[in-house]
Amino acid sequence: MPAKRVIPCLDVKQGRVVKGVQFKGLRDIGHPVELARRYDAESADELVFLDISASLEARGTRESWVRDVAHELSIPFTVGGGVSKVEDARSLLRAGADKVAVNSAASLRPALVTELADAFGRQCVVAAVDVKRDPELGWRVYLKGGTEPTARSARDWLWELNELGAGEILLTSMDRDGTGDGFDLPLLDWASELPIPLIASGGAGREVHFLEALEHGADAVLAATLFHENLLPIPRLKAYLAEHDLSIRI
Amino acid sequence: MSAAPTITLIDYDAGNLASLEGALDRLGLVHRRAATPEQAAPTGPIVLPGVGHFDAAQRSLAERGWWRALPELVAEGRPLLGICLGLQLLAEGSEEAPRAAGLGLIPGIVRRLGPGVKVPHMGWSQVRQHMAHPALPDPKGAWLYFVHSYALEPSTESVYLADHGRPFAAIEARGMVMGFQPHPEKSGRPGLLLLQSALTWMGARTPVPEEPCN
Repeated sequence: MPAKRVIPCLDVKQGRVVKGVQFKGLRDIGHPVELARRYDAESADELVFLDISASLEARGTRESWVRDVAHELSIPFTVGGGVSKVEDARSLLRAGADKVAVNSAASLRPALVTELADAFGRQCVVAAVDVKRDPELGWRVYLKGGTEPTARSARDWLWELNELGAGEILLTSMDRDGTGDGFDLPLLDWASELPIPLIASGGAGREVHFLEALEHGADAVLAATLFHENLLPIPRLKAYLAEHDLSIRI
Repeated sequence: MSAAPTITLIDYDAGNLASLEGALDRLGLVHRRAATPEQAAPTGPIVLPGVGHFDAAQRSLAERGWWRALPELVAEGRPLLGICLGLQLLAEGSEEAPRAAGLGLIPGIVRRLGPGVKVPHMGWSQVRQHMAHPALPDPKGAWLYFVHSYALEPSTESVYLADHGRPFAAIEARGMVMGFQPHPEKSGRPGLLLLQSALTWMGARTPVPEEPCN
């Protein structure tokens, strides 16, 4: 078994890392390369960059920062945001990203996942899935940051993504995201039965939450604010997880 | 600057060259991309990176003339380092592409990982020394980054082994031909040091500033 991974997630808009401020706006917290260097030095195991730029023009600039990040970083990184065709992924991978994340586009056109896996190998394909608990489906898949419900059951969709060729699942509980109350553990219990690695996201507030998620089958844990604000330094978190007998790269 | 051997990076649309170039820059090693053997540096190590499918990579190397050139270059004594899929292509063949042969520069067959473990093997795993090698020290449980679904079966000459469900060759070497299953350019400082050790052993040097003329 490889080590359990700790992954900071960075939102990028127009080439800058940004942080949402309670739905009111975005605060610039630095250049992707600066943050990448910091997290590399803090022993993050991997980074995920989600490009939230709305326009295609702004996305056009991302090859440039992806190339810069690839040049500086000595750990792997994933880039997602608006990847809807093989060429989008190719430009990111050529610029140096290790993996691409797909979300809405895969839900709208599932064949995209297979096309990406065929073109680049499934290890390059991270399927990001946002879910909320649902009285009818157990957990329902949402698009557009949890604002747009789909007809899909999360359980069916995750297994379908595995069949389609996803190499990894980045699973965000929109119920927990931003609450700091801990991950949705029952969700992780069944999702971790998938034969591909599972990254748990949404709800981390304290060290013990990460421990719980990993004990409930997640292969990796992802958080943003806790790490960006240094509320929980990654070296401290990793030392804590290692003390609890998890396989952790120190 | 005195002439240091230039490392040739094979550019064939199946490798993450940007990260590798970044790692070599941080090590101060001179490198260039070569899409065809004609573009290779005249001397110095050749690096065969690789991600993706075995047969697609094999075809791509053949189209660019590398598939035929690499065994000849190795026969002439050129050092060759395969990384990830690059290592797998050096072997005799792979279960990923049963009808395509490998380069056969390293004995052994590449087999699918599993069952009983998550595939791809994606993440940080510890490596251990199997056979001593003049260039590569005992890793003492170093963590390296892996992303692969297939792996070379261990041999008596494997340098490092790693485990994912079963042991596999993490580093394999035959003379001046060496293969890394992990990504040294993605493995933090231990990875950089391994890359430096291997390439230096293969003849790469950091350029030395020339003495000023008096």
